[in-house]
Amino acid sequence: MSKVIVVTSGKGGVGKTTTSASFSTALAMKGHKVAVIDFDVGLRNLDLIMGVERRVVYDFVNVVQGEASLKQALIKDKRIEGLYILAASQTRDKDALTLEGVEKVINDLKADGFDYIICDSPAGIEKGAQLALYFADEAIVVTNPEVSSVRDSDRILGILQAKSRRAEMGEDPVVEHLVLTRYNPTRVTAGEMLSKDDVVDLLSIKLLGVVPESQEVLNASNSGEPVVLNHDSDAAQAYVDIVERFLGADKEHRFLTEEKKGWLNKLFGKK
Amino acid sequence: MSEKIIELKGSVLSLTVLHLHSNDIAQTKAALAQKIEQAPSFFVGIPIILEPKVELKDPTYLALLVEYLHQLQMIPIGLRSQDPMVQSLASYAGLAIFPEDHRRPTVQLDTAANANPMSARTPASPPPAEPSYAPVVLDDGLKSALVIERAVRSGQQIYAKDRDLVIFGSVNPGAEIIADGSITVFGKLQGKAIAGSSGATDASIVAKQLDPELVCIAGIYQLADDIGSEFKNSGLVQAKLAKEQLILQCL
Repeated sequence: MSKVIVVTSGKGGVGKTTTSASFSTALAMKGHKVAVIDFDVGLRNLDLIMGVERRVVYDFVNVVQGEASLKQALIKDKRIEGLYILAASQTRDKDALTLEGVEKVINDLKADGFDYIICDSPAGIEKGAQLALYFADEAIVVTNPEVSSVRDSDRILGILQAKSRRAEMGEDPVVEHLVLTRYNPTRVTAGEMLSKDDVVDLLSIKLLGVVPESQEVLNASNSGEPVVLNHDSDAAQAYVDIVERFLGADKEHRFLTEEKKGWLNKLFGKK
Repeated sequence: MSEKIIELKGSVLSLTVLHLHSNDIAQTKAALAQKIEQAPSFFVGIPIILEPKVELKDPTYLALLVEYLHQLQMIPIGLRSQDPMVQSLASYAGLAIFPEDHRRPTVQLDTAANANPMSARTPASPPPAEPSYAPVVLDDGLKSALVIERAVRSGQQIYAKDRDLVIFGSVNPGAEIIADGSITVFGKLQGKAIAGSSGATDASIVAKQLDPELVCIAGIYQLADDIGSEFKNSGLVQAKLAKEQLILQCL
């Protein structure tokens, strides 16, 4: 049974695309067949972060509008077996997507034997975001530990409960997971950021994982390699944990406290 | 606690009533066919109550009509008539018997006065002791509270019309809950809460934790800044009106 997972947040710039890229890469590394779709038509970020921007011939909009076949548009990742990317178009806008077209693409992917179909949602709560979440079985809500991001996530959770296909058909509700990104324990202690517990308390959904704020995330984006492939970084380990928890493993949450640095470390440490 | 398997509940439904002004089956069928032709899909699967407006002389009339309605994919479920003979025919045809419509204006009763006393148009005044009537549920009396068993999230709005509102979950910032009755929140109330929205001054708001954007009862409100910090996040709090003032109280 294939599962459709939407990665969404409401607010922009919180790490949806980073999370989509690393989550789908890590899922594929676990041996699953994964397709990741960029719903952010007109802006197109996912292919850059996945490092396939020079291999895009046909995109998601071409497939939705019947100008290319799914096979032509799916870009196979060269690093990880079983990982495919469907890029967004930069020359169109979100109106180019239709509910029927998206449904057909998702059904075709299911028929092709994909285990997981990851929908990387655009920011906002308008049509593009609603199309991305409509067919979802599960949702990963990406939130930063600050008030406006939490508020927007709350809003998008409300939309998931009201406007997803599962909600409209009266089926079991979409399973909601929380991923807290850009978490900086030092700033949480200083009271400059909301704590993990504050966010979980307000959103009242299950926490899938906390990704620490990390320079490596930016480096990874710039080099076109999902951060999860940089095995040394905290962020990569956090995403591996997230996928393992998603697949049912019981792992303790990490990266919640400040790193203890001795004075030697401070002197000679990496940073 | 054992789960409920069944539950009997009264409910007021809106049904389509078919008035029969002819006791000729062929004529009735033709008229029905013509009516349905105008909007075929509209009639598919709708429940129908039959109400004869003339004396039904033909004892097979009802059975034939029920059969024909089934053919047209309608679902005849009952009959409304005072006539004991028609009522006995109805039970053969598998129809429930509904009481006459007592709310009919008296003007109409006058026009029926010259009708055949055996006909269904006989005024329905003092209803005879008829044990075969289906129970009737009237549209007044108590309405139970609207119960929401989840968090109310930013941007969501819940309105409990003519009733109380009970929320088993939090009301997050940016959410709005409105009730014509009282509001109880078994969670953290952080959005807007408006009780007694149609003017009930005896409505109240109770929350397990309170840090709202606004609380309002019957038009009298307090904003977040007006609310004393001793009430915020300090356990069970009740808000109600006393002498046209909104009074908060820790319980």
